[in-house]
Order: sequence, then structure tokens, then C-alpha cells
Amino acid sequence: MPTQENNDDRIALLQGTLDILILKTLLLGPCHGQGVARSIQRQSEEVLFVDHGSLYLALQRLEDKKFIQAKWGVSENNRKARFYSLTAKGRAELLDKTSQWKRLTRAMGLILEPRNEES
Amino acid sequence: MSKHKRSAEDFAEEVRAHLELEADELRAEGLSADEAHRRAHVEFGSVRAAKERFYLRSRIQWLDSIMRDLRYGLRSLLHSPGFALTAILTLALGIGANTAVFSVMNAVLLRSLPVTDPTRLVYLRPSNAPRGTGTINSRETLSYSVYETLRDQHPGLSNAIAYVPLSGNKVAVRYGAQPEEAEGDMVSGTFFSGLGVKLPHGRGFTEQDETDHAPIAVISYNYWTRRFARNPDVLGTTLYVNGIGFTIVGISGEGFEGLESGSSTDFWIPLQIRPELNAWGNPLEDGKTYTANPTWWCMRMIGRLAPDVNKQQAAAALNPLFQRAAYIGLGSPAAGEKPPTLSLEEAKGFPGFSEEYGRPLRMLMAMVGFVLLIALTNVVMLLTARNAARQREFSMRLALGAGRRDLLRQLLAESLLLVATGGVLAWVFAKMATRALASWAQIESSLAPDRTVLAFALGILVVSALIFGLAPLRIALAAGPALSLKTSAATSNADAGRSRGARILVAFQMTLCVVLLVGAGLLIRTLRNLENTPLGLRVDGLVVFGVNPHVTSVSQGKAFYRDLISKLRELPGVESVTVMAWRIGSWSSNNSDMTVDGRLPDVPNGSSRTVRSNVAGPAFFTTLGVPVLAGRDFADSDTETSPHVGIINEQFAKRFFPNQNPLGHVIGSEYGQYQMTIVGVVKDHKYRSIDEEPIPMAWYEYAQIPIAGKMDVELRVHGDPLAILPSARKVVQQIDPNLPLIKPMTQRDQYNLTISSQTLFARLAGCFGILAVVLVATGLYGTLAYRVNRRTAEIGVRMAMGAGRGQVVWMILRDSLLLTVIGVIAGIPLAFAIGRALSSSLYGVQPLDALTYMLAIVGVTLVAFIASAAPASRAASVDPLKALRTE
Repeated sequence: MPTQENNDDRIALLQGTLDILILKTLLLGPCHGQGVARSIQRQSEEVLFVDHGSLYLALQRLEDKKFIQAKWGVSENNRKARFYSLTAKGRAELLDKTSQWKRLTRAMGLILEPRNEES
Repeated sequence: MSKHKRSAEDFAEEVRAHLELEADELRAEGLSADEAHRRAHVEFGSVRAAKERFYLRSRIQWLDSIMRDLRYGLRSLLHSPGFALTAILTLALGIGANTAVFSVMNAVLLRSLPVTDPTRLVYLRPSNAPRGTGTINSRETLSYSVYETLRDQHPGLSNAIAYVPLSGNKVAVRYGAQPEEAEGDMVSGTFFSGLGVKLPHGRGFTEQDETDHAPIAVISYNYWTRRFARNPDVLGTTLYVNGIGFTIVGISGEGFEGLESGSSTDFWIPLQIRPELNAWGNPLEDGKTYTANPTWWCMRMIGRLAPDVNKQQAAAALNPLFQRAAYIGLGSPAAGEKPPTLSLEEAKGFPGFSEEYGRPLRMLMAMVGFVLLIALTNVVMLLTARNAARQREFSMRLALGAGRRDLLRQLLAESLLLVATGGVLAWVFAKMATRALASWAQIESSLAPDRTVLAFALGILVVSALIFGLAPLRIALAAGPALSLKTSAATSNADAGRSRGARILVAFQMTLCVVLLVGAGLLIRTLRNLENTPLGLRVDGLVVFGVNPHVTSVSQGKAFYRDLISKLRELPGVESVTVMAWRIGSWSSNNSDMTVDGRLPDVPNGSSRTVRSNVAGPAFFTTLGVPVLAGRDFADSDTETSPHVGIINEQFAKRFFPNQNPLGHVIGSEYGQYQMTIVGVVKDHKYRSIDEEPIPMAWYEYAQIPIAGKMDVELRVHGDPLAILPSARKVVQQIDPNLPLIKPMTQRDQYNLTISSQTLFARLAGCFGILAVVLVATGLYGTLAYRVNRRTAEIGVRMAMGAGRGQVVWMILRDSLLLTVIGVIAGIPLAFAIGRALSSSLYGVQPLDALTYMLAIVGVTLVAFIASAAPASRAASVDPLKALRTE
């Protein structure tokens, strides 16, 4: 479901979520940008659409924050590509963000489907 | 941040790799090579845009994020316009008022003269002027002989410069046909060169000009602008001063307004010796102008310290010369007389103003500083309240990956927006307020804010921006990402302690408010007392103006005034007319010792022999409405040839004729030249100013004293006193078309001028008091309203449990009353201190005046009640069902 309405509030949301998704993807092993994009799209059953321009900026941002590191390598089909891998700091960040996210979605769920539970 | 920045080429390479990998994959899914290539590109979107974003990201990321923060801040402020408006106005008022008072203080007390190396300039200040001398101001003015001595010999100084005004207020000038008034000074030949005043047009004076008493003038930049519309052709034309022509040879540089305190000098001429141009516009004394009269200390002096000499060294070098010069023409000092001494004072601010205005101005600065504190705490409280209400928002943003630094930047951006807008408004407000202040304080020199003032205002702004950004940060961070998960209003507000900060601030504001109200109350009661002080004369219906006829002899002068009085008496509406040498209610007076029955009277040890005297015309006391207690008023029948008569006041009679009838006794001037027989005793009345105590006074009859020249005319009229002025002006100009009316005004206004500084301070303090009350009220209201809002759920529960509305109202009121009580208790000792510091500015009211304190306390309590009323009633109207349902 490509959502491309450029609402500033939504970009903030997108940035935050995209970062987590990238970190999660890299948890499985080093990967290049195109692979990350494919992987996110596939794993979300094509629900999430990754804007490639934003993806590379996000990768760069994560790299700047030392959550991931990159080096040039060769892909399975012998293409030169820039491979990203998770750092220890990135791993910790992922854990932190994941638990936050889970609590947030749970809270959202509580609100959006309130009759399941009575607080 | 990264040590080695990634190059744009590297990024382009990565994008290319991405496209190839994508195309490979698409081909593997069965697309043709071309189609796969195309789809890869389409999906990627604009490669160029991506590259651009990468490039820009590193370059202007910070600028971009600042812009984003500012945009976001602006939007979030626009979301709560009430808050933004209150905060901005509060800031503008607080900072504006401070800037205005500071710019007055800067001009009056701190600013240096706009001349070369102003820090080396010093005023020459005498003390203990020899006996028998008269001064304009005993701490400031010197005689011509002293000036002459120091001009020729000035150890420790590079030069010694004298200046003296041509009139106590304005002098009659004419340029072209129309007579007008202007402020002019006579100055040393070294005035412009010695001070280092720039003269962009024409030239200044030389020592030769002083020796020659050259008929030349330099006009000020302001006068040139105001009167001559900056026409450069005025150079070489003639300006008539009291009818004497002066060629304009120079125009002073912009910003130089002369050395007269609080006024802007229009023109300068070299020191003159003509009787028409006596110093201060005074009539000649024994036919002598100021240069020939060693007993009249009327000139101010300024000098420049010689290189490598400090004030003390220079004063030590000058004093032997000064002490000799002080007695030139006066004989030798009497036994036991204190030797006159000269001290040097840094030439800063307005000379002489520091005594009258310095202390009150510092007090005002302190008071307005309190207002600023209230304003700043108000905004801090508003921000805190607002940001606490936004905790969810912050928490959500933290949860979504915003760093604490991002939040800090965000808060700083918002406070920057508030402070910048408030600052611009404050500057506009300060400029207007400064103009109002200048006119209230009768300061004619420009008070335009200079660099010091700008730095002052900017300093406050920067500090407030930081406070506003940082103070609420604690709360924002305290939120933490976890808070967004709490949904119950009751739990999320249970964090006590936070409100303690706000409560302390409210109590603190109450403290300041009490102090300000007490200060304002004391000053306003002082003003009331002054205004209601009986003057001892019927002041309503009196109008006064000065005239300075061009006369060359005493008899000509007498004839002029005789003629003028009789013509004015014929005007319809005029009840009576008289003249006087020193205008009453204008601070000026002529003080000296007087002989009684041929000798200086004995006075009990320590008491003063000083008598204040004036020269008055016929029907003087009848015109003023001062009761004649014994004997008679002056009359037309008192002439030069009739027996010389004088009138005294009660004080004179009491001190020098105890238990005697003073009528028929003879009194005379100190050295016995003028003798007169007392024919009347009048009731004591206010003579120089409203707040003076009566001292012995004597009046000479104007026809019987050899003075002529400028006098003031007093008219008692029916109806509006000022309405007579046009016809009075016509009468004067029938006699001499060159004569302007000098400072015409009602006698009431003239007296009120003597309390203008008290009026100014009382009005300002009153304004500050009101400002403080309004600010405190908005602050308290805002805090309470916010707290009530947050406690809606709690209140709902209480009410559901059976709490009555009265109890709920009381709960809110109790809170603010408690804060008020704490504030008042803390405020009273502080107010004592302020009251004591103000005591020298008070009149007829004690620093510990109980009524003022009561009123201040009642005022603060009232404010607390009013500000709490709305939130309390809102709390009382909480519907428990609704409140609980929102959970």
C-alpha cells in the first residue's frame, strides 16, 4: 500500500519505523541497500513500501549514529555492492526500540479495540 | 560527525549498484532486460533527487533542522494563540519597561559625553565657597575670577573650560523677523577644541575669540535640524541674541547637545561682557556683569586630565591656586571659615542630575527589575504548564526515535521564537516609553537608546531565551518514552513535587508584588501629599511669563515695566498685575544675610541668619492672594523717590523681631547698600517649591532697587489663565516687537514643575505596580486554571464521593490564599528595606506607613481572589459523571 502523501508528521513516523525495520533486517546478517528494501517489502507481505531515496538516507543516518557499519563487497550475482552490518550499539538500539514499539502498539491496540479488556 | 565524510561519488556508486541489483532481480522474475532496467529506475524514483538529498544532508543538515524546528515551533505556538500572545506581551512589557528605565538611567547617570576620549574629562566641583558669595549650585558653580586663574594656570589638567547659560531657561533670539526662544551658553574659547567636539561644518572658537568676546556663534546639530532644516547656508548668517547680532560660524556634530543637564543646548557663543548678555539672564548687580562680580559664583567648569595624571593628583595640584583665586575681590577669609576646596568628578551622565535623580532612578531600576522577574517567572510558569500538558507529545516523540537533543532543540526553538517576537515588541515599546519618560522628566536632550542600551536589552533577551528553553526541559525529559503508555489522567498527574516548583514561583511573585505595591503606594502617597500641600496663596487664576526688555539703563527698565503693568491692567479679564525678579515656584531664590536696624542680627548659636529675598512690583501679595497680616502691600505710590519700603514674612518677624512689632523697623542688604522700612508682614507661603519649609523672607520694591532687565510678570485673571496670553503677547510686542514671552504658563503648572521628579517617580512606580498586579494575576490564573484542568478527574472523584461544591471551591481558594500568605510574609521585610531606601524621596509619609502596607496586602489578596475565582468556579462546575467518563 504505497503511501506517499507527504505529511510532515507522517515522515517523522516513517523515519522512526524505517530505522527499526532496517536494524531488524540487518540482524539476520550483512546486506546491501537493495536487499534491505526487498526484504522489508517481502516480509511485510508487500504492505510496506520502501521509498528507496529515503532508505539510503536512513542507512546513512544509522551509519552516522554508529548503529550500523558499511563496506564495499560483492553480491551473490557478482555485483559490486555496499554491505551494511549491525554494530553492538545497533543491536542494543534495536532491542530498546523493539520493546518500545511493542508497548506502543499494545497501547494503541487497547485504545483502538477497547472491548477486549477493561482497565 | 563521522571522521571521514563519505563522498558523493561513493554514494552515486551505491545507487548505481542498487539499480543493477534491482534489475537483476526483476530479470530473474522474468522481465526483459530493458523492462527490468526501466522498472528498477521507476521504483527508485528520482536518482538525482536522492543524490541531492544526500549532498544537502551533510551540508545544511543543521540549517535544515533549525528551520524545521522553527517551523514546528511556530506551528505549535499558533495552535495555542492565547498562550503565545500572553507570553509575548508579558515579555514585551517586562523587557520594554526595563529597557526604557535603563536608557534614562544610562543617559542621566552613566553615559559619557560624545567627545574625544570622554573618560579623561572631569567636572570641577567646589565646596565651601567663601562667605558672602552667592552660587547657582553650591557644589557646582564657580566665579569668573576662579575660572580666569585656572584658565591661565591649570596644573594637572590639559585645559580648563567654563560654560554658563545665557538664561535660566531660554533666551530671546531672532533669526529673520520672528522673535523666538532658544537655549544658549557662553563658553570658553577652548570649549570645542578642548572637549574634542567634532564640527563637520564651519569652525569652533579660539582663545582669541574669547579675549575679543567675538560676536560669533556655533549652533547645535539639533537646532540646525529643527530650526534650519539642515540648510548649510546658515553659516555666515546672523542670529540675534537679546537683540545682539552673532554670526553663525559653525555647526556642531550630531549627538553633541552641550553640557547643560537634561537639556539640549541650541547655540554657543564665546564668553561676553555686555550687560544684555549677563550670565543666567540675570539683571546686573551693582552694574556689574558676572565677569566683574567676584561674589557671584555662576559658572560651571570642566577640564581634561593631563596625560598620566589621575583625579586626586590633579585636584591636589589645583587646590592651592583655587584657594587663592576664590578670595579674589573678597578680602581675606573670616576667622574659622572652612577653606574652599576643589574636587574633580568624572564627567558622566548629566552633571547635577545624579543628586536629584540618581537615587530614585536606581530605586526605579530595582522596581522595574522586579517587574521583569515577575514577567520572566510568569512566562516560565506558562511554558511549564503548557509543556507539562504536552508530556504525551514529548513522550510519543521520544518513543518514535527522537533524541533528547532533538527535544532540547525543539524547546529552544520555541523559546527563541517567543523571545524574538517579544524582543522586537519590547524594543518598540521601550522607544515609546523612553519618549514619554523624557517628557515627564522634562529632559530635552535625546534619550535615544544607544549601544549600551541595546546590549542591555539583548542581554536580557538571551538570558530569557535560555531560561525558557531549559526550564521546561526537565519536565519534558522527565516524561520519558514510557509515559505515553499511561492513559489515565489521574495516574499521569499523580507525580507530585512538580507542582511545588510552580507554587514556589507563585509565592515568589506574590512577594515581589507586595514589595512593588508598597513602593508604589509610598511614592503615590508622597505625590498626593505634595499636590495637596497648601501653597499659602490663591494659585488658581494666576498666569506668569518672563520678559527681557532691551534696555541700557535702570531708568529705561523701570519705565518699560511701569508702562507694561499699566497696559496689561487695562486688558479685559485681568484682575491685577505685578512683576517679580525671581519667578516664584521655579526653584530659584536669592539668599543672603540681611541687616536689621543697621547691623547683622544676633542669632542663637547654630541657627541660620539666611534670608531669602525677592524684588516685587505693586500689589504683589494682593495679586498672589497671600494674606497681609499687618501693615500693607506694595502700591503704585511706592516710587524711586518715595521712602524705601520693604515687606517681610512671618518667619522673618519671628526670628529677628521676637515679641516686637516689626513695622517701622529698617532692614537692609548684607553690606547695607539698600535700606528699607518694613511696612508689611505677610503670611508664610511656598516660595521656591512645594516641598520646602518656610524660611525668613524679605521683599524689596522693584522701583526702589537699581535692577532692570529680565523680570517675570504675574497676572491674576478671570476664567482660564492661559486664554489671556495672546492679548498679553500683543501688549508686549506693541512695546517692542522683538520680545517673546519667556516660558509662559499657569502659576499652578510652575509650582508643579518643582515636584516633577516626584510626579514622574510616583507615576512610574504606579505603572509598575499595576503591571505587577496584572502579571501576577495572569500568572496565578494560568497556573490555577491549568491545575484545575489537570485535576478534573480527581475533583470528579471527590464530588462523586460526596464533596460539596463549596468544599471544592475552598480547596482551590485555600491553595492560592496559602501562597498569598507565604508571599506576603516574605514580602513585608523586603518592603521595609525598599521603604527605607526610598525614605529620602518621601514627603509626609513614613517608610513604615501602615496604611500603605495594609493596602498592598489587601491588593495582593484581592488579586489572588480574583485570579482564583474563575478556575475555582470551573472546578465547582465539574460534572462528576462526565469527569469520570473521560477516563
